[in-house]
Amino acid sequence: MEETDKALNRAEALLEAERCLYCFDAPCEKACPANVPIPEFIHSIMTNNLQGAREIIEIVHPLIETCGKLCPEESFCQSVCVRAKIDSSIKIRELHRYVTDNTDPSKNLNISSKRKVKIAIIGGGPAGISCARELGRFGFETVIFEKKELGGVPMQQVSISRFPENAGKKEIRFIHDNFVTEVRDKKIISVKEIDDQFDAIFIATGLQGEIDLGIKGMNLKGVYFATELLKLTRAFIKTPVGKRAGVIGGGNVAVEVATVLKQENNERDVELIYRRGLKELKAFKDEIDEAVNAGVTMQFLAIPVEIRGKNSVEGIVVKRARLSKIDASGRRTFEEIPNSEFFIPLDTIIIAIGQKPADQFVELEKNGKGLIKVDDDLMTSVKGVFAGGDIVRGASTIVESVADGKKAALSIANYLNGGRNV
Amino acid sequence: MYKEKDISIDFLDIHLDSPFVLSASPSTDEMEIAYNGLKEGWAGVILKTTSVEENEVNLKNPMMSSFGPMSNKVSGLGNIDLISKYHINDIEGRVEYLKKEFPGKMIAASIMGAKKEDWQSLVYGLKKAGADLIECSFSCPQGSMGEEAGKMLAQSIEATEKVTGWVKEAADKTPVLIKITPQVTDIVEVAKAVKRGRADGITASNTIPSLLGIDIRTFEPYPTLFGESSYSGLSGPSIKPITLRTIAEIAKNVDIVISGNGGAFSWQDAVEFMAVGASNVQFCTLPMHYGFRTIRDLKSGLAHYLEDMGFNSPLDIVGKALGKIKTNEELPELYTRSDIDTEKCIGCGLCYVACSDGGHMAIQWDSDKRKPTVDEDKCTGCAMCMQVCPVDAIKMREKLDDAVHYFLEKR
Repeated sequence: MEETDKALNRAEALLEAERCLYCFDAPCEKACPANVPIPEFIHSIMTNNLQGAREIIEIVHPLIETCGKLCPEESFCQSVCVRAKIDSSIKIRELHRYVTDNTDPSKNLNISSKRKVKIAIIGGGPAGISCARELGRFGFETVIFEKKELGGVPMQQVSISRFPENAGKKEIRFIHDNFVTEVRDKKIISVKEIDDQFDAIFIATGLQGEIDLGIKGMNLKGVYFATELLKLTRAFIKTPVGKRAGVIGGGNVAVEVATVLKQENNERDVELIYRRGLKELKAFKDEIDEAVNAGVTMQFLAIPVEIRGKNSVEGIVVKRARLSKIDASGRRTFEEIPNSEFFIPLDTIIIAIGQKPADQFVELEKNGKGLIKVDDDLMTSVKGVFAGGDIVRGASTIVESVADGKKAALSIANYLNGGRNV
Repeated sequence: MYKEKDISIDFLDIHLDSPFVLSASPSTDEMEIAYNGLKEGWAGVILKTTSVEENEVNLKNPMMSSFGPMSNKVSGLGNIDLISKYHINDIEGRVEYLKKEFPGKMIAASIMGAKKEDWQSLVYGLKKAGADLIECSFSCPQGSMGEEAGKMLAQSIEATEKVTGWVKEAADKTPVLIKITPQVTDIVEVAKAVKRGRADGITASNTIPSLLGIDIRTFEPYPTLFGESSYSGLSGPSIKPITLRTIAEIAKNVDIVISGNGGAFSWQDAVEFMAVGASNVQFCTLPMHYGFRTIRDLKSGLAHYLEDMGFNSPLDIVGKALGKIKTNEELPELYTRSDIDTEKCIGCGLCYVACSDGGHMAIQWDSDKRKPTVDEDKCTGCAMCMQVCPVDAIKMREKLDDAVHYFLEKR
């Protein structure tokens, strides 16, 4: 599996940078959850000041290599680009990537003098790492609790083709070496385990639990969760998936795993099975395009009813749906058509209908979905304990987790300084 | 094929099938190249400047360099070229040959000499060969020969008049153009000296002495010859505004025929040159960059323009703008203000920044609506905002009534 090579060369980057209007009070910058000063870094590309461009992005965004590859720009900066009113939006993410691909982390970041303050960060994903970098800059000691490799979702659940093996490692290594005091290989399920050792705690575990279909046959051989298969493919281990696979779901993970399984074995039929229609898919457009190009087929308006088989999966019974009224997300929802069951023969079924919080941190207030409740400063119901990223938002983007990590760091600093800004 | 509109003119009694001729340059140095240019449709050639045998030429290479924004690499082209390595004897033969092959085209040659005998023997040779016109380079940026070698001849009023006189004396009825430089204290005085010397016209103007750039890692100037370089003659779009000013000043003050040269890159540029007083237009950087094929759009663009404007001949354009060029004191004091078309505005905020940091802080910015508004009391009508608007949504309007002053639209 080769990386989908979209990287701009120098000539393309300069031409694209030249198209940028250099807007004042730029909407792209405001739409970016990390508030990257986009027109300014693009201007620095134009003057061939790439390291300067990197510094502009890096100061506000600790994970720029990761986001340069994975940020769904269609949801943020690019969707509001003023240039689109003249011809078409600037390819902002590709310019961002051009900068990160061609530079190293800046050695010029100011670090405040060390303070005798120690913060625990539970989870080494985008939110946790971003928080650690910011706290490290403030001069705080940071201890990250993480049992896996630092990096989180991109390192474990994104296909190699979209996020190559070495992607993002340079900057994570850099943050680890310069801003993280210690990484402890320990799973924390309650703040009580550690609250006497730290001045504040930031919880950024992400969503560790799998949502299952809740239908008959989930225990049959040949039923997998998407995330476990993605982890295998990232480790270059062949998946146990057979010749006819059905992927249940319509989000990014579903579309991504379908693509990866088709790419792993082109002889294999991979069908995405989704309750709504093409326009209702939650996955980003470029991921859907990639799945279609790979040869994934799509079974829309199909509601799983029962997985059938003796010991192993033999297929799935689905019920036909039709599109119904528009829901809160602006997408059409679905309704069942009575007596419309039909059977799809399959040897493997992959569940990709989302993840949920693991059963942990019972001492904190949660909402109905088990997500941790926080105030405007990301502080939980327990004083000095903060939380951010997917464990607060539900499934969201990397850049939003980065924004939470940054915000939590500032809140923690303010909290420890008695409200004085750092 | 389409019917061709007649865009021919008479220039110093020479019939040109269009106003567009190839200037003395590498495009007219080799016989075969000049031949190809005429065959492709250019109205005439001025063969690259030549001199007498004893004036040795040591050309230095690489001689070309350029600068410009990325997508338009050559907005300015520089050269450290000298006159042709071919001497007058070769050139005479070429004039004869080209005249025979292209009887309907203007075959001219450019000369440069040191002494009176040089200048006059060059003229006699070209006359004998049948040259339609003789152009004299008084303005090679690498310097002229003769009394004040190294300086440009046209920078001396006295020398300009004297040498022009020598040339015209020898040329007699053959038309003579003197090619001058804009790099003088008073271009009008130079033009008057040319007229006093009895030349038939002026070529305004030559490339401009310049330095094309410095490599900021090695500090080597461009074009680098093993680390060293010299001043270049600058041509191309970047010098067009200077040429326009030069032509206009001469045309407004001296009654003499002008051949426009220096920075014209399109038929529109040529029309502008003619509007300020040029009777024809010479091209060099355009064909050097994109080839002789560019003559097709020059001719077709001009023909359609004449049609649109209801002009019968390209000469109808000559001097059309001159009456509108005034001294600063003569200009009226207007009370204008910036007028932003909110329908056209795309909300980039560039006018706000420009007015805030380089104007009069007269534009307010609504961050939520992304709309600029003009504070009429603060606005002086300087038009800086208009220059930066990417969608031409800004006009300048009279403050007291509704008369709208349209400024030249951006191309």
